[in-house]
Amino acid sequence: MTTIQQPRILGAGVDRVDGPLKVTGQARYPNDVNLPGMAYAAVVRSTIPSGRITRMDTTAAEKSPGVLEVITHENADHLGEAPATFIKNPQPPLQDDAIRFYGQYIAVVVADTQQNATAAAGLIEVEYERHEAILDPHDPRAERIKDPWGEDTAWGDVRTALNRAPVMIDQTYTTSENTNNPLGLFTTLASWDGDTLTLHDSNQWPNMIQQVVAAMFGLPRDAVRVLTPFVGGGFGAGLRCWSHIPLAVMAARHVGRPVKLELTRPEMFTGLGHRTSSINWIRLGATRDGRLTAIEHESLTTLPLDGDEYEPCSSVSTWSYASPNVTARDQQVRLNIPWTNFMRAPGDAQGNFALESAIDELAWEVGLDPLEIRLLNYAEVDPKTGRPWSSNALRRCLEVGAQRFGWSNRNPEIGSMRDGHELVGYGVAGVSFFWYQQPCSAKVIVRGDGSAYVRSAVTDIGTGTYTIMAQLAAGLLGLEVDQVEMQLGDSSMPVGTAAGGSGLTAALGSAVHDACGRLIQKFVDLAGTDPFSPLANVPFEDVAVSEGRLFRKGDPTRGESLARILAVHGLTELSADGNSTPNSPDQLGMTPAGARGARFVEVRVDEDLGRVRVARIVTVNDGGRILNEKLARSQILGGTVGGVGMALFEDTVTDKDTGRIANATFGDYLIPVNADIPDVHVEFVGEPDAFNPIGVKGIGEIGLVGVAPAIANGIFHATGKRIRSLPITMDEVMD
Amino acid sequence: MRVNVTVNGAPMTADDVWPGESLLYVLRERLGLPGAKNACEQGECGSCTVYLDGLPVCACLVAAGQAEGREVLTVEGLASGEELDPVQEAFVECGAVQCGFCTPGLIVQAHSLIAGHDGVPADAEIREHLAGNLCRCTGYEKILDAVRLAARRKAGS
Repeated sequence: MTTIQQPRILGAGVDRVDGPLKVTGQARYPNDVNLPGMAYAAVVRSTIPSGRITRMDTTAAEKSPGVLEVITHENADHLGEAPATFIKNPQPPLQDDAIRFYGQYIAVVVADTQQNATAAAGLIEVEYERHEAILDPHDPRAERIKDPWGEDTAWGDVRTALNRAPVMIDQTYTTSENTNNPLGLFTTLASWDGDTLTLHDSNQWPNMIQQVVAAMFGLPRDAVRVLTPFVGGGFGAGLRCWSHIPLAVMAARHVGRPVKLELTRPEMFTGLGHRTSSINWIRLGATRDGRLTAIEHESLTTLPLDGDEYEPCSSVSTWSYASPNVTARDQQVRLNIPWTNFMRAPGDAQGNFALESAIDELAWEVGLDPLEIRLLNYAEVDPKTGRPWSSNALRRCLEVGAQRFGWSNRNPEIGSMRDGHELVGYGVAGVSFFWYQQPCSAKVIVRGDGSAYVRSAVTDIGTGTYTIMAQLAAGLLGLEVDQVEMQLGDSSMPVGTAAGGSGLTAALGSAVHDACGRLIQKFVDLAGTDPFSPLANVPFEDVAVSEGRLFRKGDPTRGESLARILAVHGLTELSADGNSTPNSPDQLGMTPAGARGARFVEVRVDEDLGRVRVARIVTVNDGGRILNEKLARSQILGGTVGGVGMALFEDTVTDKDTGRIANATFGDYLIPVNADIPDVHVEFVGEPDAFNPIGVKGIGEIGLVGVAPAIANGIFHATGKRIRSLPITMDEVMD
Repeated sequence: MRVNVTVNGAPMTADDVWPGESLLYVLRERLGLPGAKNACEQGECGSCTVYLDGLPVCACLVAAGQAEGREVLTVEGLASGEELDPVQEAFVECGAVQCGFCTPGLIVQAHSLIAGHDGVPADAEIREHLAGNLCRCTGYEKILDAVRLAARRKAGS
């Protein structure tokens, strides 16, 4: 009954349903909302990385034109503890005089206009007692955390295998800090009405913001409503309740007016976290014909003084290739830096760069084609447990990609492919992405006219959730997409999970699937109580749905429309709640596989200048069932360009003496622009996944992964230079 | 100070404008037109692009006083009623929109390219014209498709 049976709607490249609002400037992002009597806030940030505040003089700021309030740690409200939500959230700001990183909020100024607030913020005088900051991951004084998540993994005997291996690769790979930089400036507009609070807020998880703010301000959860119908991108930046949010709430309470706090671009660098830098030590043992006998992968990533972060870089080495002996270990080191945080493909992006570079080095060492070595060591089953995958079309990704790219035209000799001044190189990388899913709920309602709406608290960060969920509900209820109205991004709706971890489509989709199934059951039951209904006495299993009608399978004439069933029973609408929880791998006897992918890249290196240009990319991915080909393709394209950024441009530079991020603008932190982007060919392969009822595997992040190693591997083919650190810059290529 | 400006064909007035205030701030915070987006406030991203007397500009770099007596056209003014401008239509159709935050600026910038072009611009020309508009979601490819499509339709009509 509730099987997916309408390929006409599901999978079709339907235009995004929120498109017209966005192209006309009508979509309202949090910073687009203005409320009557609204005041504006500006933050003040610390200018040392470690120490304490000894004096703050706010006199001039308080006298500055239009200023309504200045809040520092000396007059801030005492707030409750911020609960962890999957991971920790920053504890409330302005609660003490301690400085933990450069850029920490130390005051907030509220004024009648943004200019007045910003001008006054600049008038606050601060004196500090400076402490020595720890900024270098190798500093012996820094606190090291071993096995931070209890996920260190080992099987077989790596030591012995490495000692006996005829061929060994032993290398270190590093990646730099990257900053998410969604285009939308994160904004909180806080508005109190008595003891209830409404927030228009940029985030990826409205229910998380609701929970954390309620706890900090001692409110029942229902007293806080978080509205995020649109957000200007996230890439992970919106997965915690950052400190500007309680600042805005506190400020609104102090002045008794709604307060809008919009971060500036430089504040986005310190206030929302960033992708940790990483050091990856990899040792591969192999036979002379390239078969892996051991993988040892250890990583070191960074943490702020008082936060946590889930960034298991080494875990890719436990599921990507078949090896009888594997060790994967991660460590973290605490520094006086702004929070490290999830950024598109956390852990995987860095770990995959290291592993796929090392596999490539092994291929050259044993004289195998880099594509062949990946197929030779293919993980047919989960190498850790021996269980089958819920689906895995990585082999197909590699084969189809090689064909589309023309891999067979590759001359294996280094530097052998040349075009004028440019050395041409071909690089490949495979990607096995993690799987992630959390519980989620949704409500589906059919109205008297037969149209439907779907509600959930989750938000759509631009990936296309509005659209694919409308398609899914339409497919399951036998409606057209434009008959389904989506209502998302409101914490008062059925509790939803994060738009993150490539996990929302499976989580929300499964909840919508559940709700639609229950709703059809209700309609069938209702029809069953009507002796005149053509569906009377037809069991649920025998009912099909199409074009807004329920009918007996095999006899479309024997049926009744949803609208008519409601009318006959005097109902204006009928609704059902749906929930999803992840299935149990043990019960299903399979390992849930995340998305899989292959990257083929042609790089061109100017032999005189060392300039690297990516000429073309073929990216083939297995995302299980693709709900909307057009939107899925866009996810992969955007991820691919993020991968080019990680490989060649993106580097959040922290000054080694002051701990200040030195390039916190779009002029200085380079992200790819239009002209940097080559021809990108996107293709999907694979079958519906067996782990969730709708057969999807999230594809929001995988597009980024594997691009950097494929580029680095291509540069080696072109030049013979093995570059083991990101981003790859001209000086390294020329060196 | 008072600023008089014609926005999307309608005369508008903003009072108590601070001399250093940007046109972007006046549009967004005083005139109720938040279509043009603020993402960097210093002309690096193009999200706030609007027409000023027919030329595309970063509204964050234009002092509000410079717009006195002049004509501004924002993304809100491109559609005629329910009917989207061909550029807007092409962006939706080609999947050139994701989070949508850079979209208004890109639409105006792309509109200006096509308006000043009789045929379909070469890819290099499109990339150059849109080089000042950053996008973090789409990977740019679909934006190029949209510009080509809109230009083709205009050239064919």
